[in-house]
Amino acid sequence: MMENFELEAFYVPLELRDQVKISRTVVYEDGSTRILLKIPSIDRTFIQSLIHHLKEKRGVYLANLPIETIVHVLDVASRRWLDKNYPLRKLALKTIPLITGFSPEVVEASIDAEMESSLREDMWRALSLEIGDPLYLNDFQYSPQLGGYSRAFGPELIVSIFSENIPALPHLLFMRSALVKSACLGKVARGEPTFAPLYLKTIEEIDPEMAECMAVLYWQGGEEEIEAFLFGQADAVVLFGGVETCRSLLEKIPRRVKTLVHGHRLGFGVIGQQRMKRQGLERLAEEVALDCSMFDQQACLSPHVYYLEEGGEVSPKEFCQAVAVAMERLNQKMPRGRISPQEASTIHQLRAAYEFRELNGEEVLVLASSPKTDWTVVYEKDPGVFSPSPLNRFIRIYGVEDIFQVPPALKPIGPFLQNAAVAIGDEREKEFIRILGELGVARITSPGKMSVPSMMWHHDGISPLASLLRWCDMEKKDEF
Amino acid sequence: MKELPKEVLELDQKIINFIRKGVDQQDPEGFNRLALEVFALQFKSIPLYRRYCEKRGIEPEKISSWEEIPALPTDVFKVMELSMFPPQTVRTFMTSGTTKPEERGKVGYDEGGLRLMDATIEEAASSFLFPDGMKTKILIIAPSPEIAPHMIMAYGMNRLKDYFGLPQSRFLVGREGFEVETLLKELRSSEEEGVPVTICGGSFGFINFFDYCREKGLKFKLPSSSRTLDAGGFKGRSREVKREEFIRECGEILGIEKEYSVNLLGLTEISSQFYDNTLRNFHKGLLLSGAKINPPWTKTVVVDPETLKPLTPGETGLLRHCDLANRGHILAIQTDDLGRMTPEGFEVFGRSKEGEGRGCSLTIDEMTRIEKGK
Repeated sequence: MMENFELEAFYVPLELRDQVKISRTVVYEDGSTRILLKIPSIDRTFIQSLIHHLKEKRGVYLANLPIETIVHVLDVASRRWLDKNYPLRKLALKTIPLITGFSPEVVEASIDAEMESSLREDMWRALSLEIGDPLYLNDFQYSPQLGGYSRAFGPELIVSIFSENIPALPHLLFMRSALVKSACLGKVARGEPTFAPLYLKTIEEIDPEMAECMAVLYWQGGEEEIEAFLFGQADAVVLFGGVETCRSLLEKIPRRVKTLVHGHRLGFGVIGQQRMKRQGLERLAEEVALDCSMFDQQACLSPHVYYLEEGGEVSPKEFCQAVAVAMERLNQKMPRGRISPQEASTIHQLRAAYEFRELNGEEVLVLASSPKTDWTVVYEKDPGVFSPSPLNRFIRIYGVEDIFQVPPALKPIGPFLQNAAVAIGDEREKEFIRILGELGVARITSPGKMSVPSMMWHHDGISPLASLLRWCDMEKKDEF
Repeated sequence: MKELPKEVLELDQKIINFIRKGVDQQDPEGFNRLALEVFALQFKSIPLYRRYCEKRGIEPEKISSWEEIPALPTDVFKVMELSMFPPQTVRTFMTSGTTKPEERGKVGYDEGGLRLMDATIEEAASSFLFPDGMKTKILIIAPSPEIAPHMIMAYGMNRLKDYFGLPQSRFLVGREGFEVETLLKELRSSEEEGVPVTICGGSFGFINFFDYCREKGLKFKLPSSSRTLDAGGFKGRSREVKREEFIRECGEILGIEKEYSVNLLGLTEISSQFYDNTLRNFHKGLLLSGAKINPPWTKTVVVDPETLKPLTPGETGLLRHCDLANRGHILAIQTDDLGRMTPEGFEVFGRSKEGEGRGCSLTIDEMTRIEKGK
């Protein structure tokens, strides 16, 4: 029997809900599930009244809400999403896979990863790390360094454009906006339009007034007029997406508007010879496989290449065999999602090119799922250049004689580096990490942890909360 | 340079005889026999391909149908030379699409292979582009083989010019680029003298020319029976709309009747060409639906993009071509073109583009482009 779901590719405050006109309904269907996704029709008049509403509610409610309360609401929201019986989570797990092509297991893992790092403690730590005392957000606090009082103000309205690669990512922006007491209007991506509206429903359940300061809309990318108008009304803009998309959006943002860009980035891993041991090999291979399989490798956090140092107890080729076993096991547990014919074709083509090099007697090894494209592990001697993966669980593993050969190959892509898993296990680690930091890497972690940054992370090398703030200092007045 | 082995020369002659029977012959058994012969020879002569087949449990003695011959994915030509007799290579064609030579596919041809290609060009064009036997002035919006020795389109169009063109036929992309003034002059003189023309070239070359004409307010009324042949297509754009628009522009700007705009699918890895049946149908008064047609010395199958297993006719998947004229490299080629079989032939929906993935896939190309754009 067919199970039917109606979903909306938007969320607007209750009062405005009957003003939303539905322009069309997109139908997603497989053998057992049918989703009717309602796409809103957006015009300038509506956006104008929406922005007015968001700003107004923010002014009378969110701006005056103690940070402790905000953290509490967000914490409750994360916990609900972590509860396997939470109806909206169940709904998300039934619908997002059909819309995005990700397997339910991948979507579930994404939600867990995102929400587990969005709990009370994480928020407090992130606030403390970035702005010292979170109470600066509530009122003027005495600052001994200043010898006076300081207070931090968030933007009145943050506008954000989300990308579609990671289900459950857009909630991060709503959390950050709420933490700096800003109203937030987000635009969801065509490929993943449903998580953000569901998340805001959760906020509405917990604190309806806070939800009045948040909205999600959808429109076709490149709606020049809407985008320019929105950016003109914003105090801050946060962009997620590809280089080209971000660049064209940036042109429409007025200069006075604070802008944070999270463009597409590249990740990689490095394992030193001390860690290439027989003992614990299976475990480490599983960690590597997890990094490559989470989010089907579509996150900026995902690795494109893993570098393995030669000269250890286990050779890089042997290590690849272990990774391949782990990739297959993981694919049983958390299957790779549906991909487009083009993506599948690219994987087959690339596999064949490597297979011929292997047949030709080159130092190459291709290990892959068969007959489908679920996962691919390719080994070769480090060619000295970084090659981006076609994604969808295709990992290149390069053997290097010395880990210090890695940084020169990364130098040309320095501005695009983001996330690195590093396991060296000897005294060279410190120096190696210093070099990576200088190259542009924004986060260094351990194998297996690439896809789960903490909320404290300086996302893409910036302070995502502090960068949104404006400060007001009150110097101690001299006596007159 | 050594002569090709006798068995190769004999096989080539058999293939040429097959091709020369024209596009109307019905001889699937003949095709199968020759395909298996070509495969056996390639299996024997190209060690890497042999190992590739053996890994898949395929040997010439074990199979009885061309459908079982392992297809070679096109990207392999980017990393390997897979000619039957590399020392005998007289011509190497390269794929386009990237500026980096090391990322371009390279396909080597021996003398015999070029002769096979020549035969396919002549037979296919005489049926699909010149079914009326008309001699026209051929104007080519592409560089000549002297300027672009590695471009298979330049080679093919040069052959068209030699086989079917009037003496004034010429190439119009020189070392300095597109010689648009010359093209305008040639078109005007054709209008005045009533000499029909055939304009051929890459699809995007036409678009640029049309844009230029519209900007300058230029229009032509070319003599009846003038025609266009565009090769390639409009990657990543809406197919139907674009094709219709293209045909309309050919009419509005050049005065060419809609049946006289012919599209061709050509690949560097395939010696033969796949033409639209538009003009042929019109000329023969056939009421067949439009499609790309397999000349009898080729076969096309559509395979599942995930498993690479053949799909049932009508389903969309990746195109795989078998071409007897590919004797000099690999007979069966797995492309990354999306398409489907139709009752008349097949349709192409455009090519898979690299870096089209949904995720943070950022190609080095994209990065370098941005660096330059700064």
